[in-house]
Amino acid sequence: MRRMSVFPQHGRALGNLGLSANEIQQEVENKTSELVSDLVNLSARARFQAIRSLPMAFDERKRMRNRVNSVKHSKTIIPANCRQQVSRSFRRFRAGLASAHRYLTIWHDTLKDIGGRFGTSVLSYFLFLKWLLKFNLFSLIINFCFITIPQIVHAPNISSVTGFRGLELLTGVGHFNQTVLYYGGYNGEVIASKPVYNMQLAYFFTIAAYLVLCGVSLIYSMSRSFQKNFVLETGPVSGGAWRLLCSWDFSVVNEKAIQYNKNNLAVQLKESLSERLQEKDKMSLSDRIKHLSLNILAWLISLGLAVGCSAGIYFLGTDQELAFSFNHNPNDLTAEASTLLLPVVVSLINLIVPLLYSLISKMESYSNPRAKIYIIIVRNIVLKMSILGILCSYWLNIVPEKVSCWESFVGQSVYRLLIFDFIFCLFGIFYGEFLLNVIGTTCIQSLGVPEFDIARNVLDLIYAQTLAWIGIYFSPLLPVIQVLKLFIIFYLKKISLSMNCQPPKHSGRAAQIQTVFIALLFFPSFVGALSMVSFTVWSLKPSDECGPFQGLDTPFHTIFNWTASIQGPPETNWVWWIFENVLRSELFYYLISLIILVITYFLWQITQGRKQLIKILRQQIVNEGKDKAFLLNKMQNLQKQRRESVSYSPQDYDQTPHFNPNWMNTLPLDM
Amino acid sequence: MGGTSSKLPKDLLSEYQELTFLTKQEILLAHKIFSELQGRENGPYGSRVSMEKVLTLPELKSNPFRKRICHVFSTSDMKDGSLSFEDFLDLLSAFSDSATLEIKSHYAFRIFDFDDDGTLDGRDLEKLVNCLTGETDDTRLTAEEMRQLISNILEESDIDKDGTVNLSEFQHVISRSPDFVSSFKIVL
Repeated sequence: MRRMSVFPQHGRALGNLGLSANEIQQEVENKTSELVSDLVNLSARARFQAIRSLPMAFDERKRMRNRVNSVKHSKTIIPANCRQQVSRSFRRFRAGLASAHRYLTIWHDTLKDIGGRFGTSVLSYFLFLKWLLKFNLFSLIINFCFITIPQIVHAPNISSVTGFRGLELLTGVGHFNQTVLYYGGYNGEVIASKPVYNMQLAYFFTIAAYLVLCGVSLIYSMSRSFQKNFVLETGPVSGGAWRLLCSWDFSVVNEKAIQYNKNNLAVQLKESLSERLQEKDKMSLSDRIKHLSLNILAWLISLGLAVGCSAGIYFLGTDQELAFSFNHNPNDLTAEASTLLLPVVVSLINLIVPLLYSLISKMESYSNPRAKIYIIIVRNIVLKMSILGILCSYWLNIVPEKVSCWESFVGQSVYRLLIFDFIFCLFGIFYGEFLLNVIGTTCIQSLGVPEFDIARNVLDLIYAQTLAWIGIYFSPLLPVIQVLKLFIIFYLKKISLSMNCQPPKHSGRAAQIQTVFIALLFFPSFVGALSMVSFTVWSLKPSDECGPFQGLDTPFHTIFNWTASIQGPPETNWVWWIFENVLRSELFYYLISLIILVITYFLWQITQGRKQLIKILRQQIVNEGKDKAFLLNKMQNLQKQRRESVSYSPQDYDQTPHFNPNWMNTLPLDM
Repeated sequence: MGGTSSKLPKDLLSEYQELTFLTKQEILLAHKIFSELQGRENGPYGSRVSMEKVLTLPELKSNPFRKRICHVFSTSDMKDGSLSFEDFLDLLSAFSDSATLEIKSHYAFRIFDFDDDGTLDGRDLEKLVNCLTGETDDTRLTAEEMRQLISNILEESDIDKDGTVNLSEFQHVISRSPDFVSSFKIVL
């Protein structure tokens, strides 16, 4: 799209070429008519967008639009009237939808306020929270509609109901045990209503559909974020100075925050300058060995801690008395309270070990501050995922043999873990941020106000969401807890932020860290939960006394039963055929993998080719710059000669060429 | 008088919607705020608001580039930075959520071009860095650091090696900073 954007004000720069006023006007008129003809040829919607994108003042855009419209009207033939009206009403409808969408977005003003005072990187944490809230709300709604309501309406058979004591909210057993909160509260009967409603299939398909939609949405967000934020970095060394300057946050309006940002920017610029200087002197060999050994030591300690914690949790979990005493004596209060020990230990580990990790990382030194953040993130993820992995393997391997209604048991464990994660998060806000603020400002002045640690908070969110995804199969109404939790955490964090914290100092590369977080949400978190649920559905024998899949070999056998039932009638035979011969055959998956690999290879080759092209084009630009300098010199000389030769004739020059040595930069590159 | 209670006519509203990136609510809110600014001046509807009045807005009050922003978006003949309502809408449109990267980078270039000559040369860059790093002595960069920084910046972005950054080079650099679009935003 041709740009008129180079001339700050039309044609002024051309004056430096020594052209007369008429010639300038002619040139501008030519450009305008070319622009108008470009615009006329676009579709209506693209035309509106293009006119809006013209970098001119409002009046000039209006003039341009009127010109384009007059040209267009003189060109079009008659029955455009009806089409125009339809397109106009469609446009108004779309604009109406966009403004209605604004009313529906929750927390809009709060988020704007947070962004205004703390900047976009802290805002990204809250946006992430909102995004997770949407996932959980969606899951809650579909689980409630498709599974819970039919079950409730159809009169659940609850075997034993104990009275409600307060402890249930923490442990999840007792009164809640046989309710629809857990897997055990559902039975897999076929409800004989007008369209026959098969509860087994409903349970299976609802959970499966939700997980598939989550996966698709995550992959889509991840790829879009990756595309936007990890653009091709070629060319000279990107020192990051421009990045720092161009990421000045205009949306921050609080004066103190702006001053704070200015100080930060100054510090970051000085740091990056000294880094550049330092790169020039290489480190001595002994220094490098020292750094390397410190790094290895730190990694060993971190991994050792993670393994140790996982082993501890494993032994705690398999302690016979502790874990299963409650199931043997359901009415014993102390036994019930003893089930709380495991979640408390897990939450304590999640609270304390990351602090140890940040202490360990202080003793190391990294050349790149970004590498430091990434390494801390990796270590924390390893810790959290190993804990979850141990718990899952314990739940899937040992529990089914010990407990009768084991899915409800797993659901209750997940419930307890979530509740305690929430409680410890509240502790973290109070003790971690509030007390540290008090200590930092009154007692130990050197500590200062605590920074809002985005990485740690986002990782906590990811951990909680992994638990929620694991628990969906075992406890369909678990998203209720997660939704409530996220709501409360949003408001508490906002209050804590305003009262206690200051924004993080190294706020560069916020967009790339966002991509990393979304990728982490997808790869260990969602994929892990999905694989655990898939393993349960595919290979484990469901419990015999409770749940919708009683009596089957594996929950997946419902599908087999269903496809067998539709094999008979010829109109649904094709579904069975597809299922049997395509989805169940391994050849299909081999072929798909092969095709995807080939396509990936082709796309990678295209990327390589484009990198080459960029290098060549850069060289061409440099050459053109040299050409322009040469031509400028020649023209200067010619003009000098022309002026000298007519200096005797009395022509008045209304414009003596005011020579701006940089005039050639004001020409568009495509001229 | 003063336009504090005047409503925006419907055809004007749809024209503004068509020609800027703002939604209907944003235009109405801008009209309300602009009328309040005008109200203090007691001028006829459609007159310009002086730069001092515009700079009392909370969104612009502490912005380090407030004066440059007013100058860039002002279409007044006297070059005094005063804004008419349409200039004000232009400003909000360029800083809105839905503005394209091209518009934002164009206006960012003009805002950073302190001497209005169409390129960012060493002096412009120096003023830009000073604007962004604060005025106190310990945050200001020394002359040596400034020189080093400017040469780094030019090395990074000056493709045709002429010692200045023109609009195309600036837009190329911007396209590699994904944070730009989300930070170049002012919302009323």
